[in-house]
Amino acid sequence: MYSYDTIDAAMLADRNAEFRDQVARRLSGDMSEAQFKPLRLMNGLYLQLHSYMLRVAIPYGSLNPSQLRALAHVARRWDKGYGHFTTRQNLQFHWTRLSDAPDILDHLATVGLHAIQTSGNCIRNTTSDPFAGAAADEADDARIWCEAIRQWSSFHPEFTYLPRKFKIAVTASATDRAAVRAHDIGLVLHRNDEGRLGFEVIVGGGLGRTPFIGKTIRDHLPAEHLLSYLTAILRIYNLEGRRDNLYKARIKILVDSLGAAAFAEKVEAEWVAMDRARIDLPDLELARIRASFGLIAHKSDPGGRAAFEADKASDRAFSRFVRNNVSAHKHPDYAIVSVSLKTIGDTPGDASADQMDVVADLGEAYGHGDIRVTHAQNLVLPHISLRDVRAVYEKLSAAGLATPNIDLASDIIACPGLDYCALANARAIPISQDIARRFADPDRAEQVGELKIKISGCINACGHHHLGHIGILGVDKKGEEFFQFTLGGSGAEDASVGQALGPAVPADKVADTVDRLAAAYLDLRAPGERFLDTVRRLGVAPFKAAAYADADPA
Amino acid sequence: MSASLQALTANDLLTGEVVFRSMEGWTPRFADAQLFSDPLDARAELDLAVLETVRLADPYLIDVALTDGLPSPTSFRERIRALGPTVREDLGPQTEGGPLVDALRHSHAAARSSGRLGLIRKR
Repeated sequence: MYSYDTIDAAMLADRNAEFRDQVARRLSGDMSEAQFKPLRLMNGLYLQLHSYMLRVAIPYGSLNPSQLRALAHVARRWDKGYGHFTTRQNLQFHWTRLSDAPDILDHLATVGLHAIQTSGNCIRNTTSDPFAGAAADEADDARIWCEAIRQWSSFHPEFTYLPRKFKIAVTASATDRAAVRAHDIGLVLHRNDEGRLGFEVIVGGGLGRTPFIGKTIRDHLPAEHLLSYLTAILRIYNLEGRRDNLYKARIKILVDSLGAAAFAEKVEAEWVAMDRARIDLPDLELARIRASFGLIAHKSDPGGRAAFEADKASDRAFSRFVRNNVSAHKHPDYAIVSVSLKTIGDTPGDASADQMDVVADLGEAYGHGDIRVTHAQNLVLPHISLRDVRAVYEKLSAAGLATPNIDLASDIIACPGLDYCALANARAIPISQDIARRFADPDRAEQVGELKIKISGCINACGHHHLGHIGILGVDKKGEEFFQFTLGGSGAEDASVGQALGPAVPADKVADTVDRLAAAYLDLRAPGERFLDTVRRLGVAPFKAAAYADADPA
Repeated sequence: MSASLQALTANDLLTGEVVFRSMEGWTPRFADAQLFSDPLDARAELDLAVLETVRLADPYLIDVALTDGLPSPTSFRERIRALGPTVREDLGPQTEGGPLVDALRHSHAAARSSGRLGLIRKR
């Protein structure tokens, strides 16, 4: 894994000392809240409903065991014993005291973690494929390029005050596990016919009140020109993006209003004119980053594979776990193990300090020190030898981390919603809990199969509801929580924005509605179809009929 | 429900916790919140609170109604602020329990939040 060098460490120490001084000046009254708020936000500290919330960046969702233990320590010592993993692969502490924030940040800095650029109109933490470096179908390790973007975008003087926040996602697999088409810039690394690495460059995706799937403006940008091309895109956006209207300030609005072709022309013109060599990553630095991730020496172990197969055959619960939570690794004797943070009835994405320690220990003992966060609010151990999958499963089970439900109906994305968030209009967590309980029977959940349910407590769409096979959006109707449904969204390689189903339903009818939609799918599906496929084939009409069959006329 | 009442709330600057103006100062207990029946009195208290910049962040007034003699914020959002997360009844002021916490949990008064609307930015 990449380790920060002394320059990074010094930069973090300086920044933390600066923030400590800013906090002291605020607390002594030398600084007003209006003066302090932008500084606090630049250090990832928000004021939420019940407390401050500290959003810690997890670069491209990649953690080593020491980092995860440090997060556990913060949860235990300064917070209330847990943290919340987010759809941006970050971690949020919901109960931070302003006076503790400098100590927390100092502690996180000892393991190279921070909260810089987790807020504000800057380039945010780059997100990526949680299977990077382990996936069988990847063209390269996406993290290498994410790290290059991290270095380029950190404290970038030209792009610190953009019209609005800016999010980049990178994948190097045809299977998109990073929702790249829903980002300001999505990058798909692939090899062309000559075997050269290059990026499909997608711009103008985004969710919120105006959802868009991004448009491809370059099919194959030679990989070595990534940073100059990103600079050209950001430069056009910085100049031409709207600053007069908060709701029209994201790049998606600019790309949509100009048209993707016209936007691409401007980017190309800027790119051709600029001194690219000054900006692009030198080969030597790329090689250094590549080497720093290190190649894991995967060992062949046919005996381990045989033991794994025997365990699967003899233990139904283990077999179910493997079916749902274990994915193919590029090495035949290894597996990628997903750690479910979706225990039925718990808060999606929450992990206790003890659970974080368990995963850190497993990552260290069995997983080559490599732990990932997914945008679906789960964790991943990407390098587990087949021989060890059983032991990892048992330890995860004991810690309540082995619910066999990855991508099933109970693996729900939910934002913190009105239980925590100052922006929310409605609660998302209890809705997700109600729905998950309906699919607590694992046989039923598997019968329904892949069904991605995503819930947001407001139109800002942190819960990615537009991308849900079933999307649920909480709204405030005269002071009461109501929920609107969309169907047919996807954040994967077949990305799409869901279509509205019909009138919003009250909170106590949401799980019933999901139940009816699932039942309708089971009736309507053709062989081999997922829920999403059936919706795409038939449209929302038959689902609408099923969902509102017994509804009282409003 | 009674005639309109208001309470004054904020977040404590140092800890971030929700606080209410009481007769004695600032308290995390909504049960102790001072209730203003005269909007001018409420406004005057808010004007004073705005000056308490080293103690408070974002003071604002909320609407409160009495149900069976017990006060409760009329907006759902403000009831959650007064209680703590509804999904973690072991956290926040609600852990104190008692009749007022029960009343807050079971209140069905439905009004939009009157506070920090700038954040929510309704249409």
